[in-house]
Amino acid sequence: MSSAPIRVLLVDDESAIRRALRISLDELGFEAVEASRGEEALLLVRSESFDVVLLDIQMPGMGGMKTLVRLRALAPRMPILMLTVQDSEEHKVEALECGADDYITKPFSIRECIARIRSAVRRAQTPERSEDAPVQIGEVQLLPARRTVNKRGKPIHLTKKEYDILHYLMTHAGRAVTYRSLLGSVWGAEYRDEVDYLRTFVRQLRKKIEDDPSNPRYLLTDPYVGYRFTENPEGGVSGFSSISTRQDFESSS
Amino acid sequence: MSEKLHAFIQQMTQVKLHLNPGEQLVSLIQSTFELEAAAIYDADMQKVYEAGEWFAEMENIIRNVYFFESVADDPETGMVRRVLRIGNLPVGALLLRGEMDSQTSSSLADLVAITFDRYHSHANVNRTESARQTEQMRTTVLDSLAHAYKTPLTAIRAASTGLHAMGNLTSAQIQMVQLIDEQSGVLDELTSRLLTTARLEDHDLALHKERVFILPLIEDVVAGCRAILMGRRVNICVSRESLSICCDRDLFLALLTQYVENAGKYSTGDSPIAIRVAEDPGEIILSVHNFGPVIQPADQECVFDRFFRCADTAGRVSGTGIGLSVAKQAAQAHGGDVWLTSDATTGTTFFASFPIDPKGTSEP
Repeated sequence: MSSAPIRVLLVDDESAIRRALRISLDELGFEAVEASRGEEALLLVRSESFDVVLLDIQMPGMGGMKTLVRLRALAPRMPILMLTVQDSEEHKVEALECGADDYITKPFSIRECIARIRSAVRRAQTPERSEDAPVQIGEVQLLPARRTVNKRGKPIHLTKKEYDILHYLMTHAGRAVTYRSLLGSVWGAEYRDEVDYLRTFVRQLRKKIEDDPSNPRYLLTDPYVGYRFTENPEGGVSGFSSISTRQDFESSS
Repeated sequence: MSEKLHAFIQQMTQVKLHLNPGEQLVSLIQSTFELEAAAIYDADMQKVYEAGEWFAEMENIIRNVYFFESVADDPETGMVRRVLRIGNLPVGALLLRGEMDSQTSSSLADLVAITFDRYHSHANVNRTESARQTEQMRTTVLDSLAHAYKTPLTAIRAASTGLHAMGNLTSAQIQMVQLIDEQSGVLDELTSRLLTTARLEDHDLALHKERVFILPLIEDVVAGCRAILMGRRVNICVSRESLSICCDRDLFLALLTQYVENAGKYSTGDSPIAIRVAEDPGEIILSVHNFGPVIQPADQECVFDRFFRCADTAGRVSGTGIGLSVAKQAAQAHGGDVWLTSDATTGTTFFASFPIDPKGTSEP
């Protein structure tokens, strides 16, 4: 990662939210630029470069979804994090399938927001790995060249589909992967709605890779959206859609 | 067909179906057939419409025609009695005083019955459409409200946690920031609860039933409650992996979330939480068990009442006293129920029963 501050484009129609985020982010070593509309965000992205965009999903004018699609066309690799509210799972899914990198549920803490920004920027700046490059996350190691998965150095026996699911999730680690995109990628487009089928496979997979399948550390559920393979099995925010106040203060003070 | 009947059919096309046709038809019958008097009983609305000179007992007579299906022509009094039917179903009665042959009066009764049926279908379509529009409007208003409340809360949360993250605060300042953050959290929870309750009240209109797989739903709820569960162990036991019921997903979800959140909030030490779903003939029994403060027998009756909070824990654990009343409403709307057991030895278990809709169950 470069030493220059991370440039964040904040797109939200509510000035209070932009103000609170900009002041905090600037003070914590980021460089935040505000836009109050999707149209304004598109103009800014055409003329300046940003490392990441925080984009409100519900805005007047062009709206968050349309802005997302246009931004994605302008800057295919620029991370875009959607700001959503609780109970809007269908919007989250739609945004992820339209190319958003992640979502943050309002109201959120600055710690969570920063962790998401850093994680998205790190992924975007990591050079594309070769198809066969091994992936190591915690104690789980994926060796695509041999279609093998090891845990603590010992091979785990996986069926073909279980391997394919794990391969997709581990090569997209840290990202929320919707049920539909996972099904589409592993089984094909005609199976995109067979969520119950997928869940059965994931349950089997958890029995094989998790120490405690009921309380998974690696293969996490993003409730009502899909799955997320953690980047950091020792903790951190990648599996949390929100973090409680108490936890936030206890862990940082 | 008599000329008068022909004239009547032509006039019937003028009847306005958006208005109750009883008044219109009865006057039309009396004038077209030149009768001394005519009366129609609409059993659906339990109303009698009349035209011409009638005696006081007329209403009793016409109701009896409908209730006892007493069809008769009485030449002595000049009274004609007919039951109005749609297919085999009686929907009202027709009582006429004056001259009319038996066949014409039977045809007339059929025509009146058909007109009433058309009117009722028309009214039902309008009722359904208006209910749908009301629901849609309510959802739109609630969504805007959610947005309106979450905006200041998001700004407050970002500001208070931002201030804390910047550091260099004195111990007193940290405590103040912590207080702002905690209380904005309480307000956020309260807002979410009130909006959920308001949304669920929409379900008074109709249950939106669908096939819901129980195990994946529990997994979603547990994953969604991670912050409240704070790493606590959750054991899930469902009678079979493919278990599904036919229910309103949002209502079932509201109940389950409430039970799991409560178990998380009120558990003591690092005691685990157990979620079980068992099948009973005709229903499923969901239970969520935790070890925590005992709910006193006197309180066990009241915890499902809106705004009730146990005196022992109200000061210690944040809550609104709304969630469990929503849970009760959710189960009862399906014809199920909620209850709990709580003592120091076995812990606290919240139960809910939901009927298994025969069409919605999966094959074992």
